[in-house]
Amino acid sequence: MTRYRHFLILPAAVSLLLLASIAFAGPEQEDVAVIVNPQNQVDSITSAELRKMFSGEKRSWNSSLPVFLVVRAPQAHERDVLLNRVLKMTESEYKQHWVKKVYSGEVPREPLTLFSNGMQLEAVRTEKGGIALIRLQDLRAGVKVIKVDGQTPGSSTYPLR
Amino acid sequence: MMRWILVVWSMMVLFPCAAPAQTIDSETAETIRTLKQEVKELKARITALEARQGAPSPEKEQQPPQSKASEPAKPQETAAGGEAETLNPERVFGIFPGIKISGFGTVNYKATDARPPETGLIGFRNFANNGFAVGDVDLFLTSHLTSRAMALSEVVFSENAQQEFEVDVERLLLKYDFNDYLKLSFGRYHTGTSYYNSVFHHGQWLQTAADRPLVVEFSDHGGLLPSQSVGISVTGLVPAGRLGLNYIFEYGTSNTHRPNILDPNADEIAENNGQATTAGLFAKPDWLQGLEMGGSLYHDRINPNGGPFHIGQTIGSVHLVYLTPRFEFLNEAFLIRHHLQETAQVFNIPAFYSLISEKIGEKWRPYFRYQYVNSSSQSPVFPDINLRHGPSVDLRYDYNDYIAFKTQYDRTFRRQLSTINDLLLQLAFRF
Repeated sequence: MTRYRHFLILPAAVSLLLLASIAFAGPEQEDVAVIVNPQNQVDSITSAELRKMFSGEKRSWNSSLPVFLVVRAPQAHERDVLLNRVLKMTESEYKQHWVKKVYSGEVPREPLTLFSNGMQLEAVRTEKGGIALIRLQDLRAGVKVIKVDGQTPGSSTYPLR
Repeated sequence: MMRWILVVWSMMVLFPCAAPAQTIDSETAETIRTLKQEVKELKARITALEARQGAPSPEKEQQPPQSKASEPAKPQETAAGGEAETLNPERVFGIFPGIKISGFGTVNYKATDARPPETGLIGFRNFANNGFAVGDVDLFLTSHLTSRAMALSEVVFSENAQQEFEVDVERLLLKYDFNDYLKLSFGRYHTGTSYYNSVFHHGQWLQTAADRPLVVEFSDHGGLLPSQSVGISVTGLVPAGRLGLNYIFEYGTSNTHRPNILDPNADEIAENNGQATTAGLFAKPDWLQGLEMGGSLYHDRINPNGGPFHIGQTIGSVHLVYLTPRFEFLNEAFLIRHHLQETAQVFNIPAFYSLISEKIGEKWRPYFRYQYVNSSSQSPVFPDINLRHGPSVDLRYDYNDYIAFKTQYDRTFRRQLSTINDLLLQLAFRF
């Protein structure tokens, strides 16, 4: 039996490692950039301003440029970041929030919801007041990335990931 | 023995390994579904764009990802400047371009032990102690005219005590937002006499409780405040830093009618309002998301039923609200002051309501409300109100994002009259 003991320790250790790797493996954290139209003069935004914009409270960039909100459809990583990091709402609460906003007459409609980051890029390129969240790897030319709380995507303290 | 140990070990290793394989399969299926949806959307979009431009547009070349994400990407094309270039999806895909239609409805059951029964409101029959009613059918239309302008219309089909429907244009507004500091609205609006009136309107699905507190109930349902006006409303942000201070100013014509809630046979009281002015300030501080506090002052002159009294009506209100997706704490207090020009008599009517609720899990929301109204029985405007106060205990169940079921028990203490117990069951939905 003693000679089997060493034989058992190795598979047990491998099993534990495999179980641990499975248990703790989650989706890879990816930074999400905030993009705006290149003609927008803004270079940086605070988390509070971002929340106000995506909740429909702040509706203009300055005295002459209305905000045009663009969001991803449910199940996208950008949508999760928007709900969990920016607005701190569930999907259901987000929908109810916008129904109330539209119904109160404060906003004409809920944000433009798109199914791909390509469409998000096109919308922000076209709309002067456009703003969207986009995964760093899907970033393309024609839009401007702005800082959030003074941090750029990729930095260790960047808040949107 | 050794064989069994190996079998158990194999199961420990293999079973967890099998689970991720299933996850990957479902993720792949989900990705395929999402991609199919994207392709469908893109096809529809290209078709719409081609139709608009008259010729197929060449597909844009994909640019390589930026080497440094923190730097702004170079512009690929000039952004469109005109408002006509908006990507409003309703214009591209909508059946009725530019118009969005939504609605709210309820089915209600009410039982009361009031003897004699009070006036049947929101569709309940007069002289009945229990029954069903549809209440208000609310049709809500919005149209985004330009990036700054929109039109809004709220038409309500209200069931009356004869169980017939009356049509009422509750709101009809042309809104123009210059920026966050100046937003104009022209048309028929719900007055800023209370927070409740400004936020909840007729869609009962939106409000936690099954009905509105009496003081902020719509006047044609027995409420005390002039809930509607036709005129101009100006609102916006006051530059006050993190205090988040907002102002509201309204000037319009009200025409308030309210039933006598004690006597089903009595005629409605027409207040014959003059021009009404409302001014208010409220703060939404940055440091506590969901907190709102403020107040407003309303003034007009009324001549109830064209009778002998001309009355200066002033309504002051303050509110303190803390509203998050899970927690709700609404508090509003009012002082309605009626000054009779002919006799110099003054009637002060204090009122308040307070509602607290918290969501339990994703579906359930119990709530508690207390309301109070105190009017003199000599009041020429509210002879039926007297002193009324009492608690409401309730439970709301959200079946999904569209349907909610509410059950509400009200106990109302009345001066010189018996206490009333009401049970209200409501199926509220939006569509």
